Amino acid sequence: MPKRKVGALEKIDADLSNLQYKIRRDPSSYKDDFEGQYSQYEHQREIFLQAPSSATEDGIVSFRDLIDFVAHVSDCYPQHTKQFPQDLMGILSVYHEELEPELREKIVGSLVLLRRKDIIDSSTLLHTLFPILITTPSKSLRALLFQKILSDLRTSNASATNHKLNRTIQTVLYNLLGADRASPKGLWAVKLTRELWKRQIWTESKAVEIMKEAALADNEKVIVGGVHFFLGGDKEREELEDESSDDEAVDMGRIKHQMAINKKNKKKARMMEQAVATVKKKERKKKQPHPLNFSAFHLLHDPQGFAEALFSKHLQNRRSKLNLEQKLLVLQLVSRLVGLHKLTIMSLYSYFIKFLTPRQPSVTSFLASLAQATHSLVPPDVIEPLIQKIANEFVSEAAATEIASAGLNAIREICVRQPLAMNDTLLQDLVMYRKSKDKGVVMAAKGLLSLYREVGADMLKKRDRGKEAAMSLRSGQRKEQRFGEEGLGEIEGLALLEKWKEEERQRQRLEKGLPAEQESDKEEEDEEGNLDDWEVEEAQDTDDSGGWINVESGNEIDISDSDDDKPRTKRTKIDDEASKADEDKENVDKKPEATTEKPSTLATTRILTPADLTKLQELRLSASINSALPASQRKRAAQQAAALQARHADDPLTAAEIEGLASLSKRSTKVEKIALARAGKSDESVHQSTQAKRKEKKEALGKSTTNREKARKKNFLMTLGKGKAKGKRSLVQQGRVLKAHIERGKRGGKKGNKGK
Amino acid sequence: MGSSAKKRTDKKKDFNKPKLKVGKSRPKPTNFTDTSFKSKSIVLAHQSITTTAPTQSSQFSHHLSLLSSKSSTQRRDSLAYLTTAVASRPAGSPLPQPISVLLPKLNPLILDGANGVRSQLLLLLRALPAKEIEPHIGQVLLYIRAGLTHLAADIRSSATETLLWALETCPDEVVSCAGGWIKTLKCLLTVLHWHDPVQRTTALTGGGTSNWTSSKAAGLGNAGAKGNLPVKTLNVLAAFLRAGLVPAPGERENTPFQSKWPFPLRHVECHMLPKRSNAFAHLNLFGAPRDEEGEMYIEPEDRQRIFHRRFQRAVNMGVEAGKREGGEVGRATAAVGKTVEEGMNDFEVDT
Repeated sequence: MPKRKVGALEKIDADLSNLQYKIRRDPSSYKDDFEGQYSQYEHQREIFLQAPSSATEDGIVSFRDLIDFVAHVSDCYPQHTKQFPQDLMGILSVYHEELEPELREKIVGSLVLLRRKDIIDSSTLLHTLFPILITTPSKSLRALLFQKILSDLRTSNASATNHKLNRTIQTVLYNLLGADRASPKGLWAVKLTRELWKRQIWTESKAVEIMKEAALADNEKVIVGGVHFFLGGDKEREELEDESSDDEAVDMGRIKHQMAINKKNKKKARMMEQAVATVKKKERKKKQPHPLNFSAFHLLHDPQGFAEALFSKHLQNRRSKLNLEQKLLVLQLVSRLVGLHKLTIMSLYSYFIKFLTPRQPSVTSFLASLAQATHSLVPPDVIEPLIQKIANEFVSEAAATEIASAGLNAIREICVRQPLAMNDTLLQDLVMYRKSKDKGVVMAAKGLLSLYREVGADMLKKRDRGKEAAMSLRSGQRKEQRFGEEGLGEIEGLALLEKWKEEERQRQRLEKGLPAEQESDKEEEDEEGNLDDWEVEEAQDTDDSGGWINVESGNEIDISDSDDDKPRTKRTKIDDEASKADEDKENVDKKPEATTEKPSTLATTRILTPADLTKLQELRLSASINSALPASQRKRAAQQAAALQARHADDPLTAAEIEGLASLSKRSTKVEKIALARAGKSDESVHQSTQAKRKEKKEALGKSTTNREKARKKNFLMTLGKGKAKGKRSLVQQGRVLKAHIERGKRGGKKGNKGK
Repeated sequence: MGSSAKKRTDKKKDFNKPKLKVGKSRPKPTNFTDTSFKSKSIVLAHQSITTTAPTQSSQFSHHLSLLSSKSSTQRRDSLAYLTTAVASRPAGSPLPQPISVLLPKLNPLILDGANGVRSQLLLLLRALPAKEIEPHIGQVLLYIRAGLTHLAADIRSSATETLLWALETCPDEVVSCAGGWIKTLKCLLTVLHWHDPVQRTTALTGGGTSNWTSSKAAGLGNAGAKGNLPVKTLNVLAAFLRAGLVPAPGERENTPFQSKWPFPLRHVECHMLPKRSNAFAHLNLFGAPRDEEGEMYIEPEDRQRIFHRRFQRAVNMGVEAGKREGGEVGRATAAVGKTVEEGMNDFEVDT
């Protein structure tokens, strides 16, 4: 048989990718070819179904390629390929265990492709993939499926939240957890929910319900997954958000500079446009209102029931198989729930007793949990034996200093939350430890002392009370708080804000040369006119504030800046009269409040702006700091107060806080000291001069060298000829050279980039 | 300065490209191994000389395993060996390996990429005893159908030949096995681009496009690639239709029962033991449920009915278009038309 010559076109024809390309361009013309290939696919499928495990891949065109091909062009022939998605799903769900990995991957990929082409809908896809994810023994397939499921959920929630899909998937996950509590399959539900929570795709209470179910499961892994979610899920979410806003920082100034210097071409212009677009997008994003996200704890239905179930199932239950670490996690969760929602679980406190010895592993975590579980509605007589036990076990002269300081810190943390649990003999005894030789213990004891100076000075000895507490006690201002007593519901420091506003106004008036106090009769009629610019004034006021103790005001200025961009122009329109009248009204409002001691009406009569709120916080801070202190101490006090405020009420109490300054009391070795000293600095393996470093940095940035540097680097052989000839020039030649030099200067260099 | 310069040059040396010069021998690479030595003998530490050659049967199974080898020449040679082994065995003796072992190895070779392998495979298939193939023809048919619509023209051509072989060896089995009738027929019509115009217009919304494609269908496919393929396919189609529609001449004579059997006996042939193997296969008691296409159609009447309902119009259209074309294709098409007429003349539409 002679060799037949094969035409180039024919060769190309025998190529699925080429056919795919052609079909995409003109589906109707290549319909016949497609039909041939589709029937080829069907036949290959039949052959495959005869022996799914031993799929033969030795043909020229494999089943895999055919699946890929059909999936890519299926949107061109919807009539023919109606059965195709069902076929794939059938193959995958029946044979996923025995399929060859590459084919399996291809089928999954094709299904996702069909989803992207909108041939199948998301819920069909997820209902196919999810059962396989749970059952398959292959790790790689699980990873693939998890990623695909996640990305599909993300894309279907990208433009708008797809409530229907979310609800169905959440129900599937919930049922998975509820169906078999002992199986580790529920871990996938946990993983999926956590990931979606992190990406803020699922933010509603249903996701939290799933996690609640997971935390109450029987399998350790699932339990830990669920508990971890509650303890760290929200933090994870915040971190991810921060990260996403941090990346791709574009240095606009640098790009502009480069544009000015470098050669201009289309590519550069495009890059510039892109950079501008990203910067704009970022700014828009920054200006967008912050999405109001509730933490998982707040979305929980029936926290009391949940906490009780967790406690009785995993902690009290003798048969629970959790190890200490896992138990600690559960305990942390329970105690956080109790502290946050002020729940009442009486048996929880007696549960703690047996763990409160210094020999107990990770006892600081137990102490932190105990402190966390304490709140103002816990009866003091329940806490008192615990405090007594901590004091007996931990705080003694014989105990190691770390132990003593940990015990004192724990007692302080408990008493911050429930001051009534302390009796005066014990307190006076504990306060004596401030004379200890160890710094950690001293700090802890001083902390306790300063706490009780505020909340129960009469329990302290007279000489320990301090000046302020003693004075207020004598004058009868300070009253002992009773159990269950709640303060009046008011915004703390609102009176301060009001007072500050008043002062500001007076100052402005004085600047303008008007009398500080002025009566006005136009206040009523201007009420409406003021409504839209009150925000402006506030913003301006904050900007002007000068003589105040400045505590971290960077924030506040940002906010007011963003506030007063637009309104400032508006202000110019309004005549002086109106603004004057506004001030007058304020003054009148002020007067009655100053005389009587009734709660401020500021919050009830007007809406506080963000600028107002930050000012309020600032005022609250500065008010808590005693201005009588010397400057150095005042600064420190301000820092402490700021740190205290920065800690959100929802934040957990950690073991590190209980350990406190115990590290100070430990004598560190030389190696540790060196490591500590080095910690801040970047590792410098190479010693270089500053100039060399600068030069390197410049080179790394891709900047050009100066002419001087170029001259210095020039190969001397190149300069040799000129140097020789220079000395032998005739007068005429020399003149020409000089003329040429002047000419060159006029032109602007050798290439002459002037005048273009 | 000096030492660093030296270091730098040393470092550079590693990545220097050797300069090639005309007329000079190529510089030797660093990992060059000299193999120019000669030796009169090589001494092996252990050596074994088996006096007994491998047996026929072990060689046969060895070559059978070589059919899935990577190299096409190896596959072809093994096939040639198998062919001679099968052909040269004494008459009446069984095959060295049962056919149920052979066929799963041979079937994928229908879709093999190499021409030589496929032609050799056909030779081997021809050498196999027809009687033994019959129960397995359904399996072979799967691969033949895949070959008929294959992307590569050569494979399509040889799959057509293989189908012709199958029709020659066991015509009844081919048309009556599971999926053998409808699927194969559909496949052949797809290859010829003969479509039912009614179905086509329902599938496509625009009438104009249907005209375009049907005109291309009349041109009988990718004619540029292989001139005689459509003719071959038409011949196969004719043979296939003949096998499926025209009853075997023996059955044709429906002599009155009275003359065949004496009076008290009636319908004896219905009560006799079945002549075919696996007589109740069409009931599909143990397999997965089949749809209409995968069903077995044992009786010619069934096949006629199916043909009339699903394919006749498309075939008639195709035959008309093909006749108009004339030449070799026209003659082959006419043969198809004749077969259809012959097969369908005793069919009456029952409603």
